Amino acid sequence: MAELNLAPGVREQLAAIARVRWQIFVNSLRTLRGRLELVSHIFITLGFAAGGIGGLAGSTAGAYYLVSSGKTEWLAAILWPIFLFWQLFPVVATAFTDNFDTSNLLRFPLSYSSFAVIRIVYGSLEPATMLSSLWLLGVAAGVGMASASLLPWAALALILFAALNILLARMIFSWVERWLAQRRTREILGVLFLLFIISFQLIGPLMSRYGRSAHPDLRRFAERVFPIQRLLPPGTAASAIASAAQGDYAIAAGTLAILGIYGSAIFWFLHVRLRAQFRGENLSEAPALTESTGERGIVHVGWKLPGISGPVAAIFEKEIRYLSRSGPMLFTLIMPVFILFIFRLTPSTSSRGSGSFLASSSEMAFPIGAAYALLILTNMVYNNFGPEGAGVQMYFTAPVPIRSVMLAKNLAHSTILALEMVLVWVGAGLIYKPPALATTLATIAGILFALPVNLTVGNLLSISSPKKIDYGTFGRQRASNTTVFASFGVQILVVGLAAITLMAARSFDRIWLATAVFLVFAAVAWVVYSAVLKGIDHMAFSHREDLIAELTRAS
Amino acid sequence: MSSPAISTDGLTRRFGPLTAVEDVDLRVAPGQFFGFLGPNGAGKSTTIKMLTGLLAPTAGRIEILGLDLAAHPLEVKRQIGVVPEGMALFGRLTGAEYLNFVGRMYGLDRETAAKRAAELLDFMQLADQPKKLVTDYSHGMQKKLALAAAVIHGPKILFLDEPFEGVDAIASGTLKAMLQSMISRGATIFLTSHVLEIVERLCSHLAIIHRGRLVAQGSLEELRAGVEAQAAAALSSDGGRATTVVAPGEKLTLEQIFLRIVGGAPPADQELSWLS
Repeated sequence: MAELNLAPGVREQLAAIARVRWQIFVNSLRTLRGRLELVSHIFITLGFAAGGIGGLAGSTAGAYYLVSSGKTEWLAAILWPIFLFWQLFPVVATAFTDNFDTSNLLRFPLSYSSFAVIRIVYGSLEPATMLSSLWLLGVAAGVGMASASLLPWAALALILFAALNILLARMIFSWVERWLAQRRTREILGVLFLLFIISFQLIGPLMSRYGRSAHPDLRRFAERVFPIQRLLPPGTAASAIASAAQGDYAIAAGTLAILGIYGSAIFWFLHVRLRAQFRGENLSEAPALTESTGERGIVHVGWKLPGISGPVAAIFEKEIRYLSRSGPMLFTLIMPVFILFIFRLTPSTSSRGSGSFLASSSEMAFPIGAAYALLILTNMVYNNFGPEGAGVQMYFTAPVPIRSVMLAKNLAHSTILALEMVLVWVGAGLIYKPPALATTLATIAGILFALPVNLTVGNLLSISSPKKIDYGTFGRQRASNTTVFASFGVQILVVGLAAITLMAARSFDRIWLATAVFLVFAAVAWVVYSAVLKGIDHMAFSHREDLIAELTRAS
Repeated sequence: MSSPAISTDGLTRRFGPLTAVEDVDLRVAPGQFFGFLGPNGAGKSTTIKMLTGLLAPTAGRIEILGLDLAAHPLEVKRQIGVVPEGMALFGRLTGAEYLNFVGRMYGLDRETAAKRAAELLDFMQLADQPKKLVTDYSHGMQKKLALAAAVIHGPKILFLDEPFEGVDAIASGTLKAMLQSMISRGATIFLTSHVLEIVERLCSHLAIIHRGRLVAQGSLEELRAGVEAQAAAALSSDGGRATTVVAPGEKLTLEQIFLRIVGGAPPADQELSWLS
């Protein structure tokens, strides 16, 4: 009789999973595409590393200054931005987030604890965790340089703070994923977001008042806010270090215990989601069989778009239907307004001392929001076929040129951008002030230039560097590294050119100059777009095997 | 004599050093229910991909209904329907939306596409859960939907890559009924399958590909006669010592013919002693 006690240990399982991920990575280097991915990944990592090192130096210097000048409690001023970045970046910048599917691990004799560790560890291998951890290391170094005796306490507090952040990020991510997966919860989330934005109308005047008021008022405001923030994780961590600095070790230990309680509470909420996933939760939107009434569905005729051929209209309709059923993508699309909101809350960078950069240059809110809307749209534009999966084969067996397919997708994405711009215009008006006509026209002209550039590059990359993505699951919309890298280059070029033009026009106090320049750029860009679209069939057919193979492969 | 529905000359496909399909000359007459068989990795899917425009041949020529596929891809595609490997469905549409979409891609007007979509959903017994997304369909339902999509424009030739794989007896019955009705109306069907019993029952003509080369082609009777003749020749050459192919009065099944042609042998006895 065979030995039945074969359940492997957690360590062996984790090692096996790590090994298989490594083997997959090594095998991916066999193809040119795989090697390009690696090179792009290295460049992206270098980009992040530059930001990380800058932040590391800043946090080290900041922590050193605060501790050596006896303002240890103000370490919260460093920990808060780190905390916000850690939590918001993965949700806002899903292009850098890779939420890999662990459901196929469930068939193995994997214990819940192994599953939870895998979800937490693999989910944390993303830029926000890496950079934030680096910055925390900087804080610890700064504290240690200023006061070596404080280092053990600081290290303990920061390790606890880091663990809490890792758990909180995973917790937020898993709950947002859950809420976006189904229509009902998605709608509730949408309404909450709307209320959040509307409520800002009440907070806005308050912020403006404090933003514009004299220094003593601002100080009074900070004094009121300070005790509240001490109760929250970044403030608690800073308080623990400050108490240790003052020799109140019992208080420091108690404060650290509060941090531990926060961590435990967060872990419990995360555990609820992980447990559900471990039990094989299915978040599909299919109506349960018992709900089937036997009703025969009426097949509605497809959309008719004036002046547009049947196949192009059909693809346009399909694109819009896909998007309307994708909670994660809809969530991403409201981000431009959210970003305007975030900008409204950020401290002043202006010498005039007003509430925020955009509060002092509120006419820039619409251009910045529109640029961000375009940036978000690149997620779709640069990986046109990603959501189709095996369905992409249909485009190659149907009697429709690929240029028509691309045209339809570009039309759909352009329509979404137009709607986004309306949303941003209204949002900018509500949060700041209605954009001036000249600014509005200049922004529209700028987008008319930036859009064809992105569509052109997007069409080419969609064919040459596709990646299967899942519109239905949060954090599984990440394009290939090559695409992300190329998209960075294009955005730097386009946004840089647009910013220089706008700044120059502003310095002459002639915004219409920017409009005129953008329109000239736009004319050239549309000509290039049209030429590339004409030749796209040839490129699509020469790349069809790789394209189909990539999109039909199992995730 | 009318031109073949499908014909290939010297069809070859190489993937680097590997030759997946080599010098294949196929002839499929109009109205035939044609089965394309072969062991795993023999080149079936590669061939069907080339015939449907999903893969470019390295060498050779493909004619569909007398039209050169390379020169007239769109004209050819208008007249064929395809259920490729992986089915090419769009998971986040409902069945009705998907059929409507495919119909319009093949040039049907909006009203016709919607009418045919409704009829096909009814025929395939997929109409009673109209709000269900394709991604939530069972495998069998997806196969039925893929077939419905492949025929919505009334193609003259239908290419099916493993249409019966993972399909239950009820769904399989529905699929077979539809295919036979198409054949009775003059369509040509080109099918690959591993389910030899179904192929034997449905197909009038067959081709067998092995290690990228076409090793047999013809009607089932022609293939049977060929194998029996070979067996008889072998029997006489060794003075009657070899065992007979089949008992007197019985016919070789397609499975036996297939195994004779591709030389399949049962796996050697192995000891996997740890298996309970």
